[in-house]
Amino acid sequence: MAVVRAPHHKALNRVAIAAVLVVTLIFLAPIYWIGSTAFKPRSVATSVPPTVFFTPEITPFIKLFTKRVQLTKPYDPAAYEAASWWEKRIYDGGERILKVGVSIQLSQYPNRFMNSLIIAVISTLLAVSMGTITAYGFSRFTMAGEGDLLFFILSTRMLPPVVVAIPMYLMYREVGFNDTHIGLIILYTAFNLSFSVWLMKGFIDEIPKEYEEAALVDGYTRMQAFFRIVLPEATTGIAATAVFCFITAWNEYAFALIMTNRRAQTAPPFIPAQIGSGITDWTAIGAGTFLFLLPVAIFTFALRNHLLRGVTFGAIRK
Amino acid sequence: MAVLATLDSGSRAAARGWSDLAIRNLFIIPTIAFLIVFNIFPLIYSLGYSFTEFRASLNKPAVFVGLQNYRDLLSDPNVWRNFTVTAKYVVVSVSGQMIVGFGIALLLNRAFPLKGLVTTLLLLPMMLSAAVVGLFWKLLYDPSWGPINYALGLGKFDWLSNPDHALYAIAITDIWMWAPFVMLLSLAGLSAVPQHLYEAAAIDRAGAWYTFTRITLPLVAPLLLIALIFRTMEAFKTFDLPFIMSGQASTETIAVRLYKMAFQEWQTGRSSALAYIVLIVVLAITNIYVKYLNKVKER
Amino acid sequence: MLRKSWTGLLAGAAFAFASLPAIASAEELTIFWAEWDPANYLQELANIYTAETGVTVTVQTTPWSDFQTKTFAELNAKGDAYDMVVGDSQWLGAGSTGGHYVDLTPFFEKNKLNEIFVPATVKYYAEYGGKLWAVPVEGDANGWSYRKDWFEDPKEMADFKAKYGYDLGVPKDYKQLRDIAEFFYRPDQNRYGLALYTQTSYDALAMGVEQTIFTYGGDLGDYATGQVDGIINSPQNVEALELYRELYTFTPPNWGQAFFLENNQAFTEGLVAMSMNYFAFFPALANKATNPYADVTGYFANPPGPTGKQHAALGGQGLSIVTYSKKQDEAFKFLEWFSREDVQKKWADLGGYTNHAAVLSSEEFRKATPYNEAFYQSMQIVKDFWAVPSFADLLFQMNDRIHPYVTAGQGTAKEALDGLAADWNATLKK
Repeated sequence: MAVVRAPHHKALNRVAIAAVLVVTLIFLAPIYWIGSTAFKPRSVATSVPPTVFFTPEITPFIKLFTKRVQLTKPYDPAAYEAASWWEKRIYDGGERILKVGVSIQLSQYPNRFMNSLIIAVISTLLAVSMGTITAYGFSRFTMAGEGDLLFFILSTRMLPPVVVAIPMYLMYREVGFNDTHIGLIILYTAFNLSFSVWLMKGFIDEIPKEYEEAALVDGYTRMQAFFRIVLPEATTGIAATAVFCFITAWNEYAFALIMTNRRAQTAPPFIPAQIGSGITDWTAIGAGTFLFLLPVAIFTFALRNHLLRGVTFGAIRK
Repeated sequence: MAVLATLDSGSRAAARGWSDLAIRNLFIIPTIAFLIVFNIFPLIYSLGYSFTEFRASLNKPAVFVGLQNYRDLLSDPNVWRNFTVTAKYVVVSVSGQMIVGFGIALLLNRAFPLKGLVTTLLLLPMMLSAAVVGLFWKLLYDPSWGPINYALGLGKFDWLSNPDHALYAIAITDIWMWAPFVMLLSLAGLSAVPQHLYEAAAIDRAGAWYTFTRITLPLVAPLLLIALIFRTMEAFKTFDLPFIMSGQASTETIAVRLYKMAFQEWQTGRSSALAYIVLIVVLAITNIYVKYLNKVKER
Repeated sequence: MLRKSWTGLLAGAAFAFASLPAIASAEELTIFWAEWDPANYLQELANIYTAETGVTVTVQTTPWSDFQTKTFAELNAKGDAYDMVVGDSQWLGAGSTGGHYVDLTPFFEKNKLNEIFVPATVKYYAEYGGKLWAVPVEGDANGWSYRKDWFEDPKEMADFKAKYGYDLGVPKDYKQLRDIAEFFYRPDQNRYGLALYTQTSYDALAMGVEQTIFTYGGDLGDYATGQVDGIINSPQNVEALELYRELYTFTPPNWGQAFFLENNQAFTEGLVAMSMNYFAFFPALANKATNPYADVTGYFANPPGPTGKQHAALGGQGLSIVTYSKKQDEAFKFLEWFSREDVQKKWADLGGYTNHAAVLSSEEFRKATPYNEAFYQSMQIVKDFWAVPSFADLLFQMNDRIHPYVTAGQGTAKEALDGLAADWNATLKK
C-alpha cells in the first residue's frame, strides 16, 4: 500500500519486494522469449507445451545472413558431404543456400541493418546539433512570440506519422527523395528536432548564465562563450538527448514502411518480412530481432541515469 | 525566462564578432525554417489535394470537388467507427498503463538490493521497436503454441483473431510496453515527497489509506498528469501495434485507416482530407496538453 | 548563412548516398516480388542467367501484406528501383492505366508467346483492356492438402460411414468437405476439421470466399459492365458465404487472421485434417524437414459445389517491365530468355509453377511432385477477383463486410453481402 518507510513496516516491505520480483519477472518474460527464440531449433520455437530451457544453437543466425530456398526434392548426398558445417545445418532444416557459381548469396539483413545505422546516426547528429543551438537561442534571448514558436515546435511532434507521410510522399516524388537515405534522414531529423529543442532547453536553462557573463567580461565573444563554456556544461544533456533521438529513429516503422523500398529500407519494416516463405520460421526472425534490439538494450544500460530527463521531455527537473 | 543580454547593438559583446541579435537569429531561424519546410509546407500542399478527387496511382489530374471528401468522410460510419475504436483503445491502454505503472512505482519506492538494476530492466520494453514487439506478441498470444495461454492455463482462449478480444489484447501489449514510462514518472514524483510528511502522519497515527490519499497522491498528481497526457497523445496516434498484430475492422484505429486509404487504396485526395480531420483533433488535444504542461511546470 | 551550410551538408550527403548504388555494376536487373518460396526459386533461376550472361539479377521481396503498397509507392513515384515487378493479377488495371507497365503486346507477337503459354494464364496474368502487360511467371491456384493417415484409418473410416452413410475419402463436393471437417473437429483431442483463409491485411479472406462463391455458381459481379447488385448478393452467394462461416467453426482456435503461413503451420503441427492453401506453398508440406507428416500428406483440387460447378481462386503472377526502368532492353532480354522452353523446364524443375503449355501438360511435370497433378487440374478451373484500377478499395470493402460475419457470426450473410453490394456500387460508379 502506502509508501511509509518507517521501520515497523518491515513485514510490508518484504511483501512489496517479493511483489517487485514477480512483476519484474513478468515484464522480462516476453523479452526472454524474443531473445531465446533466436537460439532455438526450429521445432522448439513452436513446441507444445512451450519450451523455456533448451540447448541453444547458432543455426538461426546462419539463416538470418543467407539467402535460402525450400528443398523440393531430397538433396544431393555428394553436395551435402562437401558442404561446410554451417551449410549442413541448412540442409538439415530442409533448405539449401542459394549460390551464384560457388559464392553464397547473403540475405538483405546486413544491408538493412547498415541503413538503419546510417540513417539513425546522421539524423540524430542533425537533430541534436540543431536542437542544441536553437535551445540556446530560446534560453538566452527573448524573441517576439516566443511562446507561440515553442508551441509550434512542440506541435510538430504531435502529428501522427501517417498524416505527414501523405504530403511528404507526394513532395518526395517530385524531387526524387523517395527511397533514399537523405529522404528518411530529413524526416527523422524533423521528427526529432522538436523533441531535441525542448529537452535541450531544459538543460541549458539550468546552466547558470553567470558563467557566460564572466567569460564575456574576460573578452570572449558570444560565440566563443557558447562553444567553450555552455557546450561543455551541457554535455550530459546532449548525450541524453542523443540517445533518445537515436532510439526513436532506430525503432521508427511507419515512415520507413511507406517511404523506403529497395535502397534505403531500414530494419524495422524488414524484420517482419523475414517471417518465412512456406512456414513461419520464428527462429530466423528471432535472430534478426535479437541483433536489432542489442544496441538499444546496451544504450539503455549505459545511460540509465539520464533516462528520466529524456522520456519526460525535460519536464522534470532533478 | 532567462534574459541575459539586452539586444541593443551597442552591447559590449556585440562590438566584437557577431551581435547577439545575429546569433539569436542564426540559432533559431534555421530550425524554424526547417520545421516549416518539412512539417508545415507539406500540410499546406496536401490541403489543396483534400478538396480534390485524386489518386496518385493513376495518370489522371486531380479534379476539384470542393468539400465533397469532407462531407463523405464525416458521414461515413466506418470513419466514425475508426474514431470510436481509437477512443476505446486510448481509454483502455492509457488507464491500464497508469494503474500498472503507478502500482509498480509504489512497490519500487523503498530501499532494496539491486534497485537500480531492477528499475533499468523494467524500462526495457519501452525502448524496443513497436513493430518487432507486435510481431513477437503474436507468437506469445497464439493459443496453440504460444506461452501465454499455457502459462496462465487459458487453454484455447482466442486473443487476436476474435473481433471482440483483439483490441484488448493489443492494449495489453501496449500496457506492457508503456507502463514502465508511467512508472518512471511516478517514481520521480514519489521520491520528491518530503519524508517528514510521512513521519508527521505516523505520529498522528494516520491510517495507510489516509496517508496515501492525502499525502502521496496529491504530491505525485502533477507528474501523473504529465504521464497521462503524454500517453494519451501517443495512444491516439497508434499505428504499429494494431497494424502488425491484427488487420481487422475491430482494431482499425484512425491511423491504420489513414494508412490503408492513402497507401493501399491510393485515394490520395480523400486521405488528405481525413489527415486534416485528424490534424484538427490532434491540435486540439495538443493545445490542452501544452496548457496543462505549463501549469505543471509552474509549480 | 548557416542555413546555406546546412543545405550544403544535406546536398553533399544526398549526393554521397545517391552515388552509392551507381557504384554497382551497370548490368544489374532488379525484380520485385512477395516473400514466398517461388521468389527464391526465381532467384535461383536468375542465378543461372547471371552465370550465362554476366548480368546480375536480384529478386527483392517483401511480405504479402505490404507488397501492394511497396510496389505502388515506387511506381507512383515513377521510381526505377525495380526494373521488373511480378505483379498480382488484380493489379493489371492499375498498372496499365496508371502507365506503370510497359505494353508487351508486340513482344508477345514477336515471340509467339500466345501459343507458348496456357491461354487461361495469358488471359488472367497478362491481359487488360485488350493489351498484354506481363509474361506469366508463376501459375497458381487455391487447393487443399489433407492427412492421408487420418482419412485411411480403418476406425475413422468405419465411424465416418456409420455417421454420414458414405465412405470417407477425398471430398467429392462441398457437402462432403463440410462433413469431413465436422467429423474431425475434436477440440478435446487437439484435432480440428480444417484450416481456412481469413486474413484481412490483403486478399486472403477474399480468395477463400470467392472460391466458394464461384463453386456455388455465383459471381462477384459483371466484370465487363461493373454491375454488382443482384450478383454479389445473389441467393447462391449467400449460401456459399453461410457455408464458409460454418467451415470456420471447424477451424483451430485463433483462426480469424490466417493466411498461408498459419494454414501450413496448422498442418505441420498436426492440428487439422485439411488445409486450404495456394499450391505455391505446398513444397514446405512435402518437405520432411519442415513437415513431420510429409509422407502422409495428400493434395486435392477444390471440389465442386452443389450444382456441379468447380472453380479455384486464381493465384499467381506475371512479370511486367516497369515503365520507369532505365534498363528496359536488358529486361526484355531476360524475358526472352525466361520464355524459352528449356528455361521453363528448368523453372518447373526448381519448384516454379510454369505456365508453359508444353511443360505444364507433360507427364514428367505432372508426376514430379505429389501435388503437381492437383495443380494441373486446378489450373483448368481458375477464376479471379476484379482487376479494375480500384481493386484495392473493392478488396478492403469486402474484408470489412465479411470478416465480422465469418469469424464472429456478427449479422447474417445476406446483410454482409447486401452491404458489400452497396459499397461496391458506390466505388465502381466513380
